Amino acid sequence: MSLLSRTYSIFSILGYYASTFITYLIDSIILLLVAAVAIILTIYFFRKYMARVQLRIGPNRVGKYGTLQLIADALKLMGKESILPRLRDDLPYKVAPILVFTGLMIAFSLLPYGSFFWIGDVFISNSGVGIILLFAVLAIMPIGELLAGISSHNKYSLTGALRSVAKDISFEVPMMISVLAIVVMASARTPESLNIASVVSSEILPYGILQPLGLFVFYIGMIARASYSPFDMGESESELVSGYSTEYSGMRFGLFYVGMFGTILLGSFIVSLFYLGGYNGPYQWNLGLIYLLIKAVVVIVISFTVWLTMPRIRIDKFVNLGWKYLFPISVINLILAGFLTLYLGW
Amino acid sequence: MEVKEPGRKIPLVGSLEGIMTVFKHSLMKPVTVQYPEEKEYTPDRFRFRIFLKLDDCVGCTLCEQVCPNKSIKMETVKRENPRNKRMIYPDVNFGTCTVCRNCEEICPTDAIYLTHVFETSRTKNSFLYSPEELSKPEDEVVK
Repeated sequence: MSLLSRTYSIFSILGYYASTFITYLIDSIILLLVAAVAIILTIYFFRKYMARVQLRIGPNRVGKYGTLQLIADALKLMGKESILPRLRDDLPYKVAPILVFTGLMIAFSLLPYGSFFWIGDVFISNSGVGIILLFAVLAIMPIGELLAGISSHNKYSLTGALRSVAKDISFEVPMMISVLAIVVMASARTPESLNIASVVSSEILPYGILQPLGLFVFYIGMIARASYSPFDMGESESELVSGYSTEYSGMRFGLFYVGMFGTILLGSFIVSLFYLGGYNGPYQWNLGLIYLLIKAVVVIVISFTVWLTMPRIRIDKFVNLGWKYLFPISVINLILAGFLTLYLGW
Repeated sequence: MEVKEPGRKIPLVGSLEGIMTVFKHSLMKPVTVQYPEEKEYTPDRFRFRIFLKLDDCVGCTLCEQVCPNKSIKMETVKRENPRNKRMIYPDVNFGTCTVCRNCEEICPTDAIYLTHVFETSRTKNSFLYSPEELSKPEDEVVK
């Protein structure tokens, strides 16, 4: 049983089409709510963790231990006036934050989350080409950032957007090649090597152990995708006021902010699914979700530590890093994966 | 003097060291003291607020003379005290007081003395304490 089939069995009186529609609608709403809460928790955790690293206490006034601080912030952002630049390009300006947020949420709906006691398998979509779909959807978000930068009619926004595009171009290729290495390995073990769930269940030994180079490249790629320090060229707080989101205020800015932390959360889910064994483990029919969450939290802690440690690197250095180091490393990793699969049969 | 050249390190090792340092800091105790709820530790000999025993003061004006930044002025208070015929008592402006404790040392009758009370924030635009206010505990002073 899965979450989908349980919801379907509740509404099955309504006939096939209506019940399917309602099932997917309700499950999508549940996913939206859960993802929003998870992102809020991620932001809260980041603020607490950053405070502890800097020997502070962090948010502690609203609610017990400051747990309601993020909800208060969200309410504040919703209540704020949205100040629009006069010479903006209206439609792209308003579409951009929605595009970023929607891309993120669709990407969340494509992942399998393992199974949990009574609920069963937690997934919304179990596509046969889930990996391609996932990275295609992830490629929507940079378009939103580019649109935001161009339509704001502001030199800082434009520079930030161009930097973020240069960054995206230079890390996407190595990242996709390291994903390809996973597909190569999975294709020897499962007939559906593009389905995320079957890729994860084919990990007898986590792919991170078999392909440490791939894990390295992919993790750097996910850092750059979420665009936090050391790869926050799109924002470049100290040089360009706030990068592509300079001219945004109110909830539109909030959507960009949520998009960034949501990408960190999503990236840690993807890394733990593809490279750290995902929801595999003892009693995984009951505890799979818990395993996945534990791995994701560990990856999130590592990500935040990296964020708080590194200074931003220059854009030309990052492009160098992408094309001169990450790209060859990922190709070597692909060759090694093919060798391991074909000759050693791992 | 020989300048030591920094040796070439293996790539990423320095970054990993930095990451480990940051992670170790997250396990330390925060240094923040959440002031109104929890008070910071003050040493035994910490002194700030000046108190005055009106009955002991003889009005000798020594404290006024010894005060280095003229924070103390003598003030007339209509009050029956056989030891203080001129009826003058010191007032203290805490806005300029540097807590040098000269007044406490020079006082012949130990009428003026300092305590560890330090929460003297007020909404009035003056830190001047009249002799009556100096003799009251901090809670009863109109702020």
